[in-house]
Amino acid sequence: MQRSIRTAALTAILLLPLATAAPADWRTLNSAQAAPSYTYRGTIRAINARTGTLELITGVGLSLRVVEITTARTTRILTASATPRLAELKPGDVVRAQCRRTSAGLVADQIEKLKVGAP
Amino acid sequence: MTRPGVAVALLLFALGCKKPVQPGDPLSGLFEQQLDRFARGKLVFDSVFTPATGLGPLFNSVACGECHEKPAGGRGDEVEVHATAFRGGVCDPLVQEGGPVIQRHAIPALKQALGIDSEPFPPSATARGLRTSPVVFGRGLLDFVPDSVILAYADPDDKDHDGVRGRPNRFVDGRMGRFGRKAFVPTLREFNAGAFVAEMGVTDPAQPTEENIGGKPIPAGVDAVADPELSQEAFNLTDDFVRFLAPPTPLKVGQEGRRGRQLFSQIGCAACHRPTLRTGPRGMPALRNREFAAYTDLLLHDMGPDLADICLGQAGPADFRTEPLLDLRGAEHFLHDGRATTLEQAIELHGGEGSGARDRFKGLSATDRAAVVAFLKSL
Repeated sequence: MQRSIRTAALTAILLLPLATAAPADWRTLNSAQAAPSYTYRGTIRAINARTGTLELITGVGLSLRVVEITTARTTRILTASATPRLAELKPGDVVRAQCRRTSAGLVADQIEKLKVGAP
Repeated sequence: MTRPGVAVALLLFALGCKKPVQPGDPLSGLFEQQLDRFARGKLVFDSVFTPATGLGPLFNSVACGECHEKPAGGRGDEVEVHATAFRGGVCDPLVQEGGPVIQRHAIPALKQALGIDSEPFPPSATARGLRTSPVVFGRGLLDFVPDSVILAYADPDDKDHDGVRGRPNRFVDGRMGRFGRKAFVPTLREFNAGAFVAEMGVTDPAQPTEENIGGKPIPAGVDAVADPELSQEAFNLTDDFVRFLAPPTPLKVGQEGRRGRQLFSQIGCAACHRPTLRTGPRGMPALRNREFAAYTDLLLHDMGPDLADICLGQAGPADFRTEPLLDLRGAEHFLHDGRATTLEQAIELHGGEGSGARDRFKGLSATDRAAVVAFLKSL
């Protein structure tokens, strides 16, 4: 029994520096695993690729709302381009954003540009 | 004729003389339980909201039936204001300034807190549009027309060279729209859910958050009712009531009306105002596989610069959905903003894709123009 406690304590001491030195995104991801996730589908109202933020118009009927979403380094951007980037998206584009709520607001795990039939 | 023969003849006669559907009547073929929901939904539709039951803080009306009245589901005499911004070919529904529907009234608590009687007009708007309250008869049937039927009428590149294009609008999430004057909203249920909030400030389970006040949050203490302010069941009943409202049976027409109906197609009105639509094979029996007099293609058409006002979704300022011609017999004002006071005037105000039919109408003899109007008044 004493031996197993010693082994566990030693393992924890050895792994502690690894955990504390992990990249910020890795830590955010782990702490956010239990965070509720949301999927929004809407039209981009505004986007700022420099700050990594976008505003999405969603809603029901004529009762529309704006959802503010922040991207992280780990956010996957899916577009038709070979090297998709947030900067490719523009106001008027229709996207599906998979997000999780954090203390800093909604953070996107993935933003996918949707192909919408021409009017 | 033998006695059984007479009985069969009477039965056939009775079946052939189906009672005409009056404005406000439910669809035929509803089950008893659905008729019960229709009756209970009408009570919610007509119920008056107060600040204590969720009205406001901003609102246009205190009940669905205040605007859709005479009878419930019919048209009203209210005219409301909508506003959007159209810049660089992109439509901004001005959500952060309160959204496209401008509410004309404020509850006393909001008036006391901010000193306003109505929603401030959004400063970023590039256009305003007036909107009358339409009849909502037959909307359940319009909801069940498959997208493929509507798309079959679209001709965005005018391949048949008739000057009439037709294209669908898209909601903010990309789905095809069909409800509203700009065909922006994809389903009846969503239109109804949005209307509770946008028109009465009554939040519901589909939209449980209030609109902001001209871009600013609602002052503390103004809206004391917990969201959603309408229960799921109350909403479902209202939705059923609207869904089950039948399109009124067109009135019987005489020789003049029959001639008018023929001319309506001949001069090209029916290229957009498609006389009948058919619902799809899905859904409840009363709504599926039904052909009904719709007089719409549910598509957007460019109606010219004189009618242009706001944008919405992919509809530009001049684009409007072909209005379903249902219950015209009771109408006193025509077009989306009620600017026409006669049917003849409404036709003459058609521009853009409607200008060909308009010009052919104007080229008819006075007798034939009167025949077209007589036919329209039978709808």
